[in-house]
Amino acid sequence: MTDLAALSARALARAIRDKKVSSVEATKASIQRLQACHELTNCIITLEADEALAAAKAADAAIAKGTAKGPLAGVPLAHKDMFDRKGKIASWGANIRADKPAGADSAAIARFKAAGALQIAALHLAEFAYGPTGHNYVLGHARNPWDTTRITGGSSAGTGVAVAYGAIPAGLGSDTGGSLRLPAACCGVTSIKPTWGRISRAGAMPLAPALDTVGLIARHIEDLALMLGFLAGPDPRDPAASTLPVPDYLARLDDPVKGVRIGIDAAVIAEAHPEVQRMVEEVVGILTKLGLARADCRFADWQTLDHLVQLVQLPDASAAHAAFLRSRPNDYGPQVRARAEVGHFISAVDHLTALRARGMVLESTLRDTFKAVDVAILPILADPLPTIAELDVSGGPKVQAAMGRVVKYTRPINYLGLPTLTLPVPRHGGLPNGIQLIGKPFAEAQLFAIGQAYQREVPPEIAWPLKA
Amino acid sequence: MTSSKTPQAATAPEETAAYLDMPPERRALAKAHAALLSKTAGRIALELPMSADVDDFRRVLAERAMP
Repeated sequence: MTDLAALSARALARAIRDKKVSSVEATKASIQRLQACHELTNCIITLEADEALAAAKAADAAIAKGTAKGPLAGVPLAHKDMFDRKGKIASWGANIRADKPAGADSAAIARFKAAGALQIAALHLAEFAYGPTGHNYVLGHARNPWDTTRITGGSSAGTGVAVAYGAIPAGLGSDTGGSLRLPAACCGVTSIKPTWGRISRAGAMPLAPALDTVGLIARHIEDLALMLGFLAGPDPRDPAASTLPVPDYLARLDDPVKGVRIGIDAAVIAEAHPEVQRMVEEVVGILTKLGLARADCRFADWQTLDHLVQLVQLPDASAAHAAFLRSRPNDYGPQVRARAEVGHFISAVDHLTALRARGMVLESTLRDTFKAVDVAILPILADPLPTIAELDVSGGPKVQAAMGRVVKYTRPINYLGLPTLTLPVPRHGGLPNGIQLIGKPFAEAQLFAIGQAYQREVPPEIAWPLKA
Repeated sequence: MTSSKTPQAATAPEETAAYLDMPPERRALAKAHAALLSKTAGRIALELPMSADVDDFRRVLAERAMP
C-alpha cells in the first residue's frame, strides 16, 4: 500500500498543489491500485487510463504555470457508471443503454470537473442501480474487498469497494433506497445521502425520481464536506434542486458536538440481529463519550413507512422502465426484471396517496420523532454482513422478502428525504458494518461535525482481505 | 352506426399489465405484493386531508430546513 492510498482527496490535492507529488504520479498509483482492486472485487466497468493520464499531465502543467483551478486540481477519482459524460455512453450496469453518447455532462460530473478532479474509471453498480446487495446478473457480481465471499452492498458497489481499498479517496453514487449507505456500511467507509434535492440529478440515470438522491462515498468526512460544498446548489436542469443557500461545510467541520441529542428508537432497533444491536450500542457509547446526549425517540410505524416508500418507488421505477420492459424484456437480468414488473400492479390512486401523504408524514416525523432529539441513529444492515451466496435469490419468489430485509433500515428514510451520514462501526479485527445518523432537513453540516469527531476516535481504514 | 359487439364483450376485464410477458407465478406474487401495499394506502388515505398535495413534501423540507 502506498501512502497516497491512505490520503483524503483534500490532503492529496494539497500535496499535488504543493508539488510534493505530481498529478501523474498520483493518477498512475490510483490506476494501479484500482486494477488490483478490480481483480479481487470486479469493481471496474470501464478503465480510462490514457484519458486520465493525459488530464493529469495537463493538470501538472497548469499547476506549474500557476493556472490550475479548483479545490481538487489533479486529483484522480472514479464514479458509479450512471452519470452522463459528454461524448460517452454510461453502462447503467445494464445491457440496455442509451442509443447515443451524452450531449452534455451531468450536473455532478460537471461540478467535479470544475473542481479540477480527474476521472480514471466508471465503476460497478447494480443493474440500473436497482439492487441493494452488489449482485448484478448482467455484468457480474461485485465482491467485498474485506472478504470476497461477502456482499459489497449496492447499488453503488464499485464506489464503495474502490474507496475502501484505497484506490480512490471518494466517488459519486446515488441512493433511492439505500444505495450509498449499504455499500459504505458493507465496505467499512462513510457516505452522505444528502437531503432530497440538495444535489442536482440532471444527467444522472433515473431509477425512481421522487426518491433518487445523488451523493458521495468517501473514507474521510472532510472529503464529504468539501465535495458536497461544490456539488450542492440550484440547477436550472433539475427543478427539484434546492435553491437554499449552501453552507460552508468545511468551515463547520469542527463545530462543537457536546450536547447534541442523539435519538434511539429502541423498538425499531430491536428488530435487528443482536450483533447489529450491539454495534449500534457501541457507536452510541463512542458518541456519548464525545459529548452527545443520549435520548429516546420514536419513529412512525416502521412497516407503514416501508410500505409507503414502496408505493412511491415501485411504480416510479416501473414507469421509468415501461418502454424497455415491453420492448426488450429479455435484455434485463432476472432480478431487475422481476422487481420492475411489480410497479405495474400498483394502482395510480395508491401511488398518489403515498405521494400526497409524504408531506404530512415528514411533518409529523419532525414534530414527534425529532421533538427532543437533533439526530437519530439506526442500523443500516439488519444483519451481520451476508455472503453473496446467501442473497443470490435472482428473480425468484424470495426476491421481495430478501431485498426487503436488506433495505429494512434504509428505504423508509428515502420516503422522508432526510440527510443521512453513514459511519463504519469499529471492526475489532472482524468484518465491517455501519450505522446511519439521520438529521433534520438540510442538517448535513451538523452530521459532518459529528462524523468528524467520531473519526478522531475511529479513524478511517483501508480494506485488506481477511479472507480472499 | 351501431356496434355488433355486445356491451359485455366490449367491457370484458383485461388482466392487469397483460402487456408484460410474465409467468403466472410471478404475476401472482406481484399482485399479492401490490394488494399488501394497497391495504396501507387505504388506511393512510382515510387520514389524509383532501387538500394534501404531492408538493407538500418539498414545502416541508424547505420550511423546516436547518440553518
